[in-house]
Amino acid sequence: MATFSADVYQNEFLPDGGTDVHAIVTIVCSGAGAVGQTGAGDAAELVIVDTSGSMDGQNIVAARTAAAAALDQVNDGVWFAVIAGSHEAKLAYPYGRELGMVRMDPQTRAQAKAAVAGFQADGGTAMGTWLTLATRVLASVPSAVQRHAILLTDGINQHETPEQLTAAIEGARGHFQADCRGVGAAWQVAEVRRIATALLGTVDLIARPEDMAADFEGIMRQAMGRGVADAAIRVWAPQGSQVLFVRQVAPTVEDLTSRRQEVNPLTGAYPTGSWGDESRDYHVAVRLPAKVIGQEQLAARVQVAIGDEVLAQGLVKAMWSNDDTLTARIDPAVAHYTGQTELAEVIQDGLAAKAAGDTDTATAKLGRAVQLAAETGNEEATTRLRKIVEIEDADTGTVRLKRSVDKLDEMALDTASTKTTRVKK
Amino acid sequence: MTVATEADPTCPSCGGHVTPGERFCEACGADLGEPAPAPPATPMVPAAATPPAAATPTGACRSCGGEVADDGYCTRCGTAAAKPRDHFTEQPAPWVAAVCDRGIRHHRNEDAVALAAAPPPAARAVLVVCDGVSTSTDSDVASLAAARAARDVLATSQPRGLGTAASSVAATAKALSNAVDAANDAVIANTAPGAGSPASCTFVAAVVDGPVLVVGWVGDSRAYWLPDAGGALLLTTDDSFAAEQIAAGIDRAVAENGPHAHAITRWLGTDAPDHTPRTVSVDLDTPGWVLVCSDGLWNYCSAPQDLAGLLGATMDTVGAQPLPLAAALVEWANAQGGRDNITVALARIDPTTTATAGPSADHREEVSPDGNVLS
Repeated sequence: MATFSADVYQNEFLPDGGTDVHAIVTIVCSGAGAVGQTGAGDAAELVIVDTSGSMDGQNIVAARTAAAAALDQVNDGVWFAVIAGSHEAKLAYPYGRELGMVRMDPQTRAQAKAAVAGFQADGGTAMGTWLTLATRVLASVPSAVQRHAILLTDGINQHETPEQLTAAIEGARGHFQADCRGVGAAWQVAEVRRIATALLGTVDLIARPEDMAADFEGIMRQAMGRGVADAAIRVWAPQGSQVLFVRQVAPTVEDLTSRRQEVNPLTGAYPTGSWGDESRDYHVAVRLPAKVIGQEQLAARVQVAIGDEVLAQGLVKAMWSNDDTLTARIDPAVAHYTGQTELAEVIQDGLAAKAAGDTDTATAKLGRAVQLAAETGNEEATTRLRKIVEIEDADTGTVRLKRSVDKLDEMALDTASTKTTRVKK
Repeated sequence: MTVATEADPTCPSCGGHVTPGERFCEACGADLGEPAPAPPATPMVPAAATPPAAATPTGACRSCGGEVADDGYCTRCGTAAAKPRDHFTEQPAPWVAAVCDRGIRHHRNEDAVALAAAPPPAARAVLVVCDGVSTSTDSDVASLAAARAARDVLATSQPRGLGTAASSVAATAKALSNAVDAANDAVIANTAPGAGSPASCTFVAAVVDGPVLVVGWVGDSRAYWLPDAGGALLLTTDDSFAAEQIAAGIDRAVAENGPHAHAITRWLGTDAPDHTPRTVSVDLDTPGWVLVCSDGLWNYCSAPQDLAGLLGATMDTVGAQPLPLAAALVEWANAQGGRDNITVALARIDPTTTATAGPSADHREEVSPDGNVLS
């Protein structure tokens, strides 16, 4: 049985007239167990591979190997299927059925690996059709409550409109989680991020086809360790207050604010998908009506819930004080993650400006990124930024854009922008 | 009280000895919940605790009436449930009572009060008030432990010396000195080793012994004698920067509102240079009130004649019972802003209904612990 804990890091003291309370809540899950084994229901896995014409050559060879490696990681008994995607989606395995899934066993594993070994690169790219087929295939197994997919692409979504993709994403939202990967430099990070964010998954770059198998294996192994099918963060805030935002800030930045589902007028639930043995940090900000100096009140109850059961709770407090030494201090965890969130934003904005040819904005944003990465000790971000800009002075954020930049380096910076470093506690 | 009972009760939190009837553990400050049964009848009864109904927070939020959750906060408006330590009362006898309150602007109640009294009117009472220094660690725990330790010493020891008035007063002054030693020990016992800012508190104790009142103090908590008719007296002289300025000729109102007015020059605690109490005695030969308080009250009403006026006006509203009166004075201080913790302890003195046994002292004399009359 999985157990959760919730620890709150905040400065609860507010100055006279202060209204905004910020806290970092660290949620730790332990004893999660294996996927589909906790009695909550079955698990289902999908492997969705881009088989468009652009995959021809090294990529399709690597994709065959990677899909096989992923299938090797799926536990016996887990429902699964393989989808081959181009301008249309095809169920590559199980064979001979319009829609369906089978349970993993040695025989189905061998059949599925044989199916992926036959992948041929042909056709265009319409990822929306892949998502729609995936949603329908998963719906054919109602007992599977925990649903996850690996999605691989190598190109731009050319054969359908953005609106069609949006409609397919909305159709899939809430039905399964998807970890998305792009191979090579021809795909668009923002486009794939849109899918991954909506489907509570990750987005990353596979720069070299030969790395694909290890990556797929890792994703699938992690998915098999997620014994908690679906947990939500619940935030209670007092009457008359306003929840400014709820963000996951570690291991990656993800704004959950718009995912709010009302539990009751004072409590919202924010879906966080499945959990393994892991720790995630959340930044919660609440605006309260100011109270008199000396008053204490609860600003938020931050809870982990599975269904209607609350498994852990952290209390975010507010105390109004006229002692400047108490109220002026910013909690180090809040400061750290505020910086990391801005870092992710300015990297994405900077790269978008650069792509649009707006050198001034790109220089300013990426300069700020260099400054924030230095301030928050995010050395990985600094290393990635260094490939895009010449750093003259990290402290002031003074940079120059490099004349020639490898597209893959830009994409690596973009996909990694939301990865945060942990605050030193 | 050091009277042994059949089964010495212990603190459920730290296991330390607790005195029956007390609401908080002396050692760790834990809330003891419903008071234990009162000890066997003795001449001096330590204060019975607040009625249990008021001790345990009820299900309703004091701010919005919503339901209070197990986590101690309202499920609707988030207001913190009242903590028993934030506001409590004591009344060991009908004529003696105190109210100790967090005030409005402080987060904790670092004031403390401990009372003991014999039931017959004006026979004998002990009123101890300690004001924890807010910049130090765990002063709320330390101040309560100090007040109770001193109260227990004074409730147990009832010296009369050689029986003469001066000798009796001197003996009580010596007992006050012992009480401060016990209070100081209690503060030190509740100071975490290596605390950057060790716990510290003020001390004032008033011992009513028949027709005589003896007061001992360290710091700026005060005792007043407010007779129904005649001149009101401030019995204590603050150990404070403000008092030093007043002694140097600066106007009281100016000094008490100056930038360092609240800086005290003497206190109890590990870093206290000297905790010998100064003592004073006064005859209680006319009906009136002994009022012992922390600066949470007197900051808003310092001069004795003003305080007597406030007391009189308050009595016109709530009557002359000590508990409602003390509560009303606390409420009044909160209405003035409640900038500090507030403690008001009152003893009603009425010589016409009191046995006249006991020595009488000369009017308001400073006494030294060794029995020499100073003035």
